[in-house]
Amino acid sequence: MTVIVPVGPQHPALKEPENFRFEIRGEEVVDVDIRMGYVHRGIERAMQDRTYLHNVYLSERICGICNVVHTNTYCQAVEAIAGIEIPDRARYIRTILLELERIHSHLLWAGVAAHEIGFDTLFMYFWRDREHVLDIREAVSGGRQLSATNTVGGVRRDIKLEHIPRMLDVLKRLERETRRYLEICSSDPTILSRCEGVGVLTKQDALEVCAVGPTARAAGVDWDVRRDDPYAAYGDLDFRVVIERTGDVLAQILVRLGEVIQSIEIVRQAADRLPSGPIRVDPPTRIEPNEAVARSEAPRGELLYYVVSNGTDKPERVRVRTPTYGNVLTWKRMFKGCTVAEIPIVLASIDPCMACTDRVTLVDVERGRSRVVSLEELRRWKKW
Amino acid sequence: MVGVAEFLFSTLIFPGLLFAAAVGLLYIGIDRKITGRLQHRVGPPIWQEFLDFGKLLTKEDITPAAAQGAIFDFAPVVALGAVVTVLLLFPVNSVQPALQSVADLIVIIYLLNIPAISMMLGGYASGTPFGAVGAWRYVVQLFSYELVFVLAILSVVARVGSLSVSGVVGYQLANGWLLFDPRLWPAFIAVVIAAQAKLLRVPFDIPEAHTEIVHGPLTEYSGPKLAVWRLVYCVETLAVLGLLVNLFLGGPVSHTIAGVTIPGVVDFLVKVFALLLVTTVMRNVMARLRIDRALRFFWTYGLLLVAVSLVLVVV
Repeated sequence: MTVIVPVGPQHPALKEPENFRFEIRGEEVVDVDIRMGYVHRGIERAMQDRTYLHNVYLSERICGICNVVHTNTYCQAVEAIAGIEIPDRARYIRTILLELERIHSHLLWAGVAAHEIGFDTLFMYFWRDREHVLDIREAVSGGRQLSATNTVGGVRRDIKLEHIPRMLDVLKRLERETRRYLEICSSDPTILSRCEGVGVLTKQDALEVCAVGPTARAAGVDWDVRRDDPYAAYGDLDFRVVIERTGDVLAQILVRLGEVIQSIEIVRQAADRLPSGPIRVDPPTRIEPNEAVARSEAPRGELLYYVVSNGTDKPERVRVRTPTYGNVLTWKRMFKGCTVAEIPIVLASIDPCMACTDRVTLVDVERGRSRVVSLEELRRWKKW
Repeated sequence: MVGVAEFLFSTLIFPGLLFAAAVGLLYIGIDRKITGRLQHRVGPPIWQEFLDFGKLLTKEDITPAAAQGAIFDFAPVVALGAVVTVLLLFPVNSVQPALQSVADLIVIIYLLNIPAISMMLGGYASGTPFGAVGAWRYVVQLFSYELVFVLAILSVVARVGSLSVSGVVGYQLANGWLLFDPRLWPAFIAVVIAAQAKLLRVPFDIPEAHTEIVHGPLTEYSGPKLAVWRLVYCVETLAVLGLLVNLFLGGPVSHTIAGVTIPGVVDFLVKVFALLLVTTVMRNVMARLRIDRALRFFWTYGLLLVAVSLVLVVV
């Protein structure tokens, strides 16, 4: 007998409203049906009615956690169609903000993951350390979450000299803590028993469903936009792309914590080599008909913006492909053979950001196959 | 007439409902405060459980249309009755329990299982998949820890040669705590871990793992019924840890310090508190296990530990 257990739209394991229908036999997951679209906001359409500058703030609000990377990619696309070169100092400031964002996003994810496997103490510790990063983000950009720093043609706010020593000091502490967490996560028996060999995504599967970001890198796909198609100041900096081979949840944890350490290294280098000069060039208000694609490595994977201009001060069309959209299909492969106990951690493992994804997505559910447990069905089943 | 008054007093006030509820809620409040400090948080005030309990009592009581009303309604009350009864049957203040020569350890073991069974029934009767999955998991968990729990108690019984808790406490009064007997150490370790599973604490909070199955069997409970479940959990903690205190830590002993006699219940509560600290720390340094791993753990390591004790005691 199989039973459909609905997870979502409201469920403690989900931080955002999405619906998953798990077909389970006892504790084993037989199949999963993914339904999205609960938080569709129509941002792409709204962008067509606003000026290029105004859209920076709209794109910032696509995702709360990775707002810098959204504005950065949007600005890159607009700068490409307008033919602007941004000043060096702006490139470095963007890099620093992008990496601080990656650190806080990965720590947030690690905390959620610990919570999903019932390890609340570790969850609290991760989020305690994430606070330090938010503090330095507030110091350098004025906002804990939304930085509102990127703009078309550069950045709006300079990093002050006195902020840099404090930032490096916090990062030093954070690096020590992250290395300790890496050690805990790869040695604690209860964590290993929950994460090792769970929700495995093979390299073949990752390539077939076009997985991106840490999810793909955990499966052994050696791809990182920062290295392979450098933007901002990444071309000038040395860092390592963290790769794991096993593709299970443990590999995802190791990749993300490894990336935190690499990000700390990147911020250090960028702060060290921060060039002087202007931080912004004036962009034109109207942009001649043109089109461009820009991409960057968001904390969750490759983020892609496609912008078409039509000679006015408003874009003809803006298309956003968020990393979670690229990763949704990996769930189908990961859930094969999982148990109910593993649903939350595997759901969380790709670090889904639904609000970003739903902005554009309507996943077509195969109508014939989807079944909803009606009240009647529940009553019948209860009498078993 | 005096007998009836005494019975009512012991059932409703001490060591019955009122005492059990007050101490249980306070201890779980302390547990939450310590958890908060261990997790580098401020944590709630230690009387938070009383506030939560009061708040739940005033909330709306909803019974789902798909639920089987009677079982759903009575499950928490039956569970509460069972755990409060346990407190009447083992020594809390002196060597003698409140209800003397009524029941022995076997009855206590049975009574301590009633909350688990009520919770399963409540979960099944609530008519939600989360309740049903939680109940399935609880059945499996019951079959994993219960044997270890019972065998550990049996090794104490075999060591002392008495099935009554008063007998065990009296023996310890004369010969020292059973905890100091190296032959019972493996059994004590095993029974503390089994108590962790009995009280649904991490790493064995599997039946109500809230990130996985919302709140397991309690998902559909709300208002006063949920308040009663909360109370059951608090009193059950007191009852299970109290049983361990009686079996291994010498039970209630009254001390006389500088001419003032301190009643045995103080000693009892201090010992329960010490055990509570152990389980609180345990639940904060681990992740939740998967149900099959919990089963395997108890049927291998758990069983091995108690078997060692039992063999050492009997031979």
